[in-house]
Amino acid sequence: MTPAAVPVEERLFSLVLALLATETGLTKNEILSTVQGYHQRFRSGGDNANLERQFERDKDDIRDLGVPLETLDSPGDAGNNQTLRYRIPKGAYELPTDVTFTSEETALLNLAATVWREGSLSGESRRALLKLRSLGVTADEPLLGYAPRIRLRDAAFDPLDAAIRKGVRVRFAYLKPGEEKATERDVIPLALVQYQGRWHLSAERDGERRVYLLRRIIGPVTTGKPATMPEGDLPAEALAGLQAVWERNVAELQVEAGSDAALRLANRDGAEVTGDHAVLHFVDVNILADELSGFGPEVLVLSPPELRDAVVARLRGVVSAHGGA
Amino acid sequence: MAAPKPQPFQARDKLAFLLSLVPYLMDHDRVTVTEAAAHFGIPPEQIRDAVNLIAVSGLPGETSAYQHDDLFDIDWDAFENDDEIVLTNRVAIDDSPRFSAREASALIMGLQYLSALPEYADRASIASLIAKLSRGTSGAVAPVGVGGAETRESLMPSITLIRDSLDRGMQLEFDYLNARGELERRRVDALQVESVDADWYLRGWCHLREAVRTFRLDRISRAEVTDEPVAHRVSEVRLPELFEASPDDLEVVIDVEPSAMPLLADYIPDGARGQQEGTRVRTAVRVSHYHGLKRLIASMPGVVTVVSPPEARAVVAEWAASAAARYRA
Repeated sequence: MTPAAVPVEERLFSLVLALLATETGLTKNEILSTVQGYHQRFRSGGDNANLERQFERDKDDIRDLGVPLETLDSPGDAGNNQTLRYRIPKGAYELPTDVTFTSEETALLNLAATVWREGSLSGESRRALLKLRSLGVTADEPLLGYAPRIRLRDAAFDPLDAAIRKGVRVRFAYLKPGEEKATERDVIPLALVQYQGRWHLSAERDGERRVYLLRRIIGPVTTGKPATMPEGDLPAEALAGLQAVWERNVAELQVEAGSDAALRLANRDGAEVTGDHAVLHFVDVNILADELSGFGPEVLVLSPPELRDAVVARLRGVVSAHGGA
Repeated sequence: MAAPKPQPFQARDKLAFLLSLVPYLMDHDRVTVTEAAAHFGIPPEQIRDAVNLIAVSGLPGETSAYQHDDLFDIDWDAFENDDEIVLTNRVAIDDSPRFSAREASALIMGLQYLSALPEYADRASIASLIAKLSRGTSGAVAPVGVGGAETRESLMPSITLIRDSLDRGMQLEFDYLNARGELERRRVDALQVESVDADWYLRGWCHLREAVRTFRLDRISRAEVTDEPVAHRVSEVRLPELFEASPDDLEVVIDVEPSAMPLLADYIPDGARGQQEGTRVRTAVRVSHYHGLKRLIASMPGVVTVVSPPEARAVVAEWAASAAARYRA
């Protein structure tokens, strides 16, 4: 006879309840033989390999939700998997009592959550809002008139994010502009940051900090051995590093007065446009070259020479690809 | 190709909801299903399902038999007759759960992004919220961040004016340079400011075109709030999606490197089929005119080529050639 299937959420909920209620912890065997959703499928004295695998996946699932599932060695029997005990300590599970949010803050967090309308972080922000609602605070009237959105379309984001949280090395193929073939990188991933609308990976390679653009990562990201993460506010350091590069790099252009290029470049941060002369800051010469190629004859690059060359090469490439002379 | 859709409500969402609903019910002696649904932004039917599940859940207990005292319980009469939820017995859970590292970082990045808006320019409120979220997180917050948005100060004067026109319900007037290079004075009922990553847009009812139009903020200049009240508000107008297709759009066939496909997603019509063409994908994009197309294609050199129609190819080639010619002088 097949027992009636217990829905996944009921099994997970029962597991969390059972582990929250125990001070001393439960062994795997106790869990599988008693907890709702497992005990229906438990074979006393028989083979429970499938059920054990199920339990392993469930543990990952509830940890992903921020539930701090702990394991304790039994006294005098350290390292024995059979006597390992599982529990969820209440102090680490519950939101600290001094973490409260006002109606105004709740409204701001609601708006912050709406920036993720696609990709894996939309699910995360949806679950964060459920937990926020649990506190019972009614949000202030939403701030009307804003619909902000961050995009997350780089396939490398999720595997890199997972690797960073696990603290493991990664390998990926990276296509540098101007190179024919992508080449392999083996790095310690440190932080993912969006700077001026583009996602970057800050990483350590041969003891040095490097920055990689996510959109230039080609194909799968594979994980390697555990690595030692440096201390510090890694995203803030990565952003400060990008900002420093941006400030250092200066381009000089001639722009056609009254053109789309003149107006949009003048509206760029840190840009100075006087008559038909423009001075800009930038992070990456190839990205700026792409952008400036789009403006066509409205822009003439004066310096630096590598930007000028990059734009000329792009324009000639577009002409020949489209049957021009 | 449509933009990736948000994931549907999965087991993980359902578990997060159960763990969130219990403390809420504990704090509210008596709450209707409708109130709870409105508070959580979840359909009433899903609230009822969750309450039904909670009411039969609990602990295995001493006897491992899930005895009555080891289970949650509710006032069944109130639930069945009046659609009201009253918890009469509770087990194991005392308080709201912490945020996971990824949940907290999703909210923190959202807040960092919002700090580009004039309302939050002081950033003190944002910083204190980020600190609170970090303390309310299980484990360390994932190392992610959003920056460079706060440097959008060049657009701040326009955003502040739009904000002012929205708050006061007065029409906005500005010079707008469209993608064809035409400069016009536009008078607009501002509806909404939208942004995608580092790009900012104003959606508004345009009195010149008598329709909803989208304006890039970096193409707006000489903006001012008039003393003419607006005729349209966002609640009264159907606001299309930011990159929604128009029936007047032109369709252009392109070959594109697979790695560059995400950059073109907004231009590829829903349901368009991609077909392998060597190492590239042959697909279609829709554009309102070739002036926009030539700028788009020239800004993605080496990864996308226009295949047809021939006029479109010629416009792109001519645009790039006239630019390249400037370097020969």
